[in-house]
Amino acid sequence: MANLRLRSILAALLLGVTASADDHVTERNFTLKVLPLLKAKCLGCHGGDTEDVQGGLDVRSRAALIKGGESEEPALVPGDPEASPLYQAIRWDGLEMPPKENDRLTEAQIAMVKSWIVAGAPWPDEATQRRHRAEAAAIESTDEGVLVRTSGGLSDEWTLRRYRPEDLWAFRPVKRPPVSTGTHPVDYFISKRLAPTSIEPAAQADPVTLIRRATFDLTGLPPTPEQISAFREEWSANPDNAWEQLIDRLLASPHYGERWGQHWLDVARYADTGGYSNDYERSNMWRYRDYVIRSFNDDKPYDEFIVEQLAGDEIWEERPPGRRDPELLVATGFLRLGPWDPAMVKKPQARQIYIDDVVNAVGQTFLATTMRCVKCHDHKFDPIPTRDYYRMYAAFATTQLAERPASFLPEENREGFDEGRTHVERLLAFASERTEALRRKREAAARRWYQEHGSNYVPHEERKNLPDESKPPRHVGLDHHEIGRLKVREQDQWIWTRRLERYQPMAQSVYSGPDPKFLNARKLRVPGKRRTNTEFVNHILTGGALEAPGDIVQPGVLSGLGHPVDPSAEDPYLVESELRGRRLGVARWIAHENNPLTTRAIVNRIWQHHFGKPLAGNPNNFGVKGAKPTHPELLDWLSTQFVDRGWRMKRLHKLIMTSRAYKQSSHHPQIDSLGSVDPGNDLLAYFPTRRLSAEELRDAMLHVTGELNPTLGGLPVMPEINMEVALQPRMIQFSLAPAYQPSRTPAQRHRRSIYAYRVRGQANPFFEVFNQPNPNESCEARDAAAVSPQAFTLMNSDVMSDRSIAFAQRLEREVPTLEKRVERAFLLAFGRSPSRLERTRMIDYVRRMEQEHRGARPDIVTHPTRITRSLVEELSGKSFEYDEILPVFEQYVPDAKPADVGPGTRALADLCLALFNSNEFLYVY
Amino acid sequence: MTHKLCSRPLSTTASRRQFLYGLGASLGSVALTDLLAADSPRSTGPLEPRKPMHPARAKAVIMLFMEGGPAHMDTFDPKPTLTRLHKTESKSTRSLASGFKFHVGSPFKFRKVGQAGLDMCDQWHYLADPEVADELCNYRGCTAESLNHPEALFHMNTGSRLGGDPAIGSWVTYGLGSENQNLPGYVVMTELALPQGGSTNWNNGFLPAHYQGTRLRPEGSPILDLTSPRHKSRRHQRQFLDQLAFLNEQHQARHPQHRDLAARMESYELAYRMQTEVPGVIDLAGEPDHIQEMYGLHDDETAAFGRQCLMARRLVEKGVRFVQIFSGGWDSHDYLERGHSARIKSVDKPMAALIKDLKRRGMLDETLVVWTGEFGRTPDNNKRGGVYAIGRGHNADAMTMLLAGGGVKPGAVVGATDAIGATAVDCVHPIRDVHVTLLHLLGLDDNKLTYFHGGRYKQLSQFGGKVIDELLA
Repeated sequence: MANLRLRSILAALLLGVTASADDHVTERNFTLKVLPLLKAKCLGCHGGDTEDVQGGLDVRSRAALIKGGESEEPALVPGDPEASPLYQAIRWDGLEMPPKENDRLTEAQIAMVKSWIVAGAPWPDEATQRRHRAEAAAIESTDEGVLVRTSGGLSDEWTLRRYRPEDLWAFRPVKRPPVSTGTHPVDYFISKRLAPTSIEPAAQADPVTLIRRATFDLTGLPPTPEQISAFREEWSANPDNAWEQLIDRLLASPHYGERWGQHWLDVARYADTGGYSNDYERSNMWRYRDYVIRSFNDDKPYDEFIVEQLAGDEIWEERPPGRRDPELLVATGFLRLGPWDPAMVKKPQARQIYIDDVVNAVGQTFLATTMRCVKCHDHKFDPIPTRDYYRMYAAFATTQLAERPASFLPEENREGFDEGRTHVERLLAFASERTEALRRKREAAARRWYQEHGSNYVPHEERKNLPDESKPPRHVGLDHHEIGRLKVREQDQWIWTRRLERYQPMAQSVYSGPDPKFLNARKLRVPGKRRTNTEFVNHILTGGALEAPGDIVQPGVLSGLGHPVDPSAEDPYLVESELRGRRLGVARWIAHENNPLTTRAIVNRIWQHHFGKPLAGNPNNFGVKGAKPTHPELLDWLSTQFVDRGWRMKRLHKLIMTSRAYKQSSHHPQIDSLGSVDPGNDLLAYFPTRRLSAEELRDAMLHVTGELNPTLGGLPVMPEINMEVALQPRMIQFSLAPAYQPSRTPAQRHRRSIYAYRVRGQANPFFEVFNQPNPNESCEARDAAAVSPQAFTLMNSDVMSDRSIAFAQRLEREVPTLEKRVERAFLLAFGRSPSRLERTRMIDYVRRMEQEHRGARPDIVTHPTRITRSLVEELSGKSFEYDEILPVFEQYVPDAKPADVGPGTRALADLCLALFNSNEFLYVY
Repeated sequence: MTHKLCSRPLSTTASRRQFLYGLGASLGSVALTDLLAADSPRSTGPLEPRKPMHPARAKAVIMLFMEGGPAHMDTFDPKPTLTRLHKTESKSTRSLASGFKFHVGSPFKFRKVGQAGLDMCDQWHYLADPEVADELCNYRGCTAESLNHPEALFHMNTGSRLGGDPAIGSWVTYGLGSENQNLPGYVVMTELALPQGGSTNWNNGFLPAHYQGTRLRPEGSPILDLTSPRHKSRRHQRQFLDQLAFLNEQHQARHPQHRDLAARMESYELAYRMQTEVPGVIDLAGEPDHIQEMYGLHDDETAAFGRQCLMARRLVEKGVRFVQIFSGGWDSHDYLERGHSARIKSVDKPMAALIKDLKRRGMLDETLVVWTGEFGRTPDNNKRGGVYAIGRGHNADAMTMLLAGGGVKPGAVVGATDAIGATAVDCVHPIRDVHVTLLHLLGLDDNKLTYFHGGRYKQLSQFGGKVIDELLA
């Protein structure tokens, strides 16, 4: 007997494995749980490259752990967790590992490691590990979670890891939850969560609040006093009818597309320039902006909207020449929106930067999935292997950037082309004239040099590559001012030459093909002869490095959604592998009703902008770490409705807005107890309040003052901005960017804010201070923090002074007495009459201010037509000066300024300014 | 509730509480309670000072950003080998430029300065003063990634090349708040021209807008729209604010549940206080002449940067947490000798004065001064216009930094670049490790200074980094 036991122990020792059932479980646990944990949490610093191993500790084997690191103490004492520094470290007891708070092991994970150590820390060999993994892989769902079938990770551990089912909510098919009849389905789902708490939903808001809420929501503008009073009348007759008619009227307004298009542009990162050092204008980018606005106004089905933006050019090429709609090229402007400039970057890197950017943009925008993490490794939390990332990467690897000929559409606004072109030609002529004069001076000196050296004159271009001794110095005849100026003028010359592209029928678009020979963001065109026979092989790039190609991958899509491209294919997650058609494959896969991310993503965004908060808290990230939806059934139900109703947004808006939840008040009688039960208002017991966005704020003021020019679309417009910023020098590569010149007439300037020129390197200070997002990053939700620079802008800026005078002038035009003007001011700004106290106080205030203004003499505002700039010449380190012309100010039509109006108007304008500064104007309830 | 208009003008030194009672007559009760709560130690306003995570060596940072990329081998990292190789062909494939390349020796001579014997080129006169030089730590091991100015600027300022993530100053004020509630916690000063990439370099990114860098402009209004138009008097504005407070209070009475209203009203209060505080701190007239002289205010070539350095000292003295000064023109692709000597001249005296001044006031121990560019420069160059252009290209593999005060090892050289300055070879660390080290000195742990955004805890270093122990005193 004893002999037998000894033999078995010996055998166990020899084999390095133990055989009891307990041991089997321990080894299994080690293989499936402890080892993946060590790999995930420790290996980044304690494994791999021996030079880089932290503290000399390697966790890749039992022996290495027992040997320990630089401390020369074992990190692991089998059987004794308390004596094992490894165990102390993961408990953050003395040592703290992993060092990041957010990476800390959970109690359950720590317990798992502990019982492994207690059991003698067995470490089965590879074959045993494989066997355990194979066994585990056969079981879809265990108490440790569910498997997700994907194209496979870089390691078996990753491929076989398990997810908590609730974490996968977005990756699973959209369900069609039942609804009860009789209640509005939206309210059914809302009250389902509210019912178990003892909280009653808030009462219905009053009609004035409701029309203001709906009008801002759908058009980004306030209602007029006339619209308010008409609505109140209709409401008192039949509230439901009145409400439905109001929604229909607002959805039919062309301003609807301007408001909801802005939400899209926030996510898509719209700007009119390319960013970085050159910050080149992307000529006619506005055509994409208008395409978005038109698509919303036309209620274009969202699936079409997706496909056009991702692969419009490929559809365009498939069509016979007579049926090629230029709008399809314009739509692909989406793929041109990221900041990108290949200057000073090698071509392969520049291409990689572009493709990484576009894959991530597509993931965030359409799939609510952040792809950036998967570039370097299998996703730490989501079922997305790096292989899928590089399949998507391969799908976009043949996407080449180009400005493409695309004739203007009848519905595109081409107003201002002639005036704009004349303006640019004027600036170009000035730059050319100055350039030529400086060049002539240089060449005259060169001639003298050649004469003095007894040789024949060689023109500038031809002497470039001659030896230094046989030619005059580079900038002969020019002092350092002139050297600097010549450089600035030459830059200006081509800036303005290039600006003339604005008036050409071209679109910022893409084409499918091999990489072009050269990349320069200054000019990207489709090459005349397209190589088509090029082999295009894509690899997984290990760690995201071009230098470390791994497995070859084919173009494809995400494999973890259970939504194949072609279920019958050998690998159902691959798309077309020819140069052309890859993107179209991805686009159609995204724009498919079975893609669970696509519909949930857009429905969530639509809900977000109606309620000021989304159902799922991170509209750009539905992954395991994103916030879970507060009402998952509602989100799914709305997704099914969206698809059932033809992917049309206007129907979804109406469905949501006719709910009781949308119409409820922002006041709640139990607000104090709600503060502890539901501080984030996740249950939607009352309507969330929001601050106007930057664009709404400006547009609402222009609307109230009567200055708003409601024209749709067209060339970017230049509103007046703080003049110090407008004229402020701004570095671009080799030079200073030209000054900001506002549009010439008030009508040209007072267009809606979505049309304002968006320069990546020069934010509009008014918009920036009111949290317009930086267009370099996709913005899923805007910030609205109250900071004092907002107060400075609203109290003191010229822009605000102009608006308040325009408002005062409107009041003076429309009604005769101060009392009536106060009344009208409140109606226009707040949609209500002032209280008696407010009326008295306002009248008194205006009278007192008029006294103040009588003695004051406001500055007369003049606009310079020429300014002197100074710049440090990069080569010499010395500063030089040059002048710049501002032709727009030669025949400028300014807004009324304080000096143009009397003390009475200025006093009334003070009141108007107070209204614009007030919280009542800034918030929507 | 009855209200009486406030007509008493506020003294500029009015305490917060006095101010509130002054305006309080026309503030709603909820707001008043909230604002008073901000006086209590439990307060957690976004910029209220917060305790560091571990004992801090520095309380404030002054970062001097040399935009364009100073050449390490022409400032603090001598390369005699390069001098020998001058104008010989370079076969290096590191830089992007193709075609014939030749080595460029430094136009400047070097000498060792101070007790510690730091290397400095002969263009540095004031910084070479042992009182200053022996405070400096020269770090030669940092490597950047991007060769393009704006991306490299974004990287050094925000930890990401892409531009759009929070700036380091935003992270620091997010972590520590600010000691002075009447001034912005994070102040940025630039030349008249903005650096490439503009305000993205000091943007708050996904952090709340309270942590955005506030730019103090060198000309015109120091902060945009800081003051009301000239024809409106202070009394005029006081009445405007009272009228606004009245409107807001009426509104708040109708919306008692709306918490944001109080914060917005408070932002006006801070704005009003800043209107007096900011002009005070930037008005240098009260500084004694010898201080003005020391910072180079009497000399055109040094006055601009000198004013900003002096202002930085005053701001830090007032409790501002993070001050950044951008000084451009270091991008010497040609005419290196002229370019760099002019740039060095413009910063040498003011920098030395800043270090000395901080030291004499006992502030250097707690103020970390950092001098850096966005990358270094190459040991070789291309011909320009067919001529041997004596300048240098962009180099992400080697650069040079100076650090002083705030827990940094004084009089030390840390790290090294190779014989010609092409690449860092010793104590090599990416930018993120420099960031982690700066945070560490401020008592912040990069791994714990996180912000949940877009479904992930984000941090300045992006994915974590290491403290460069060699830099610590």
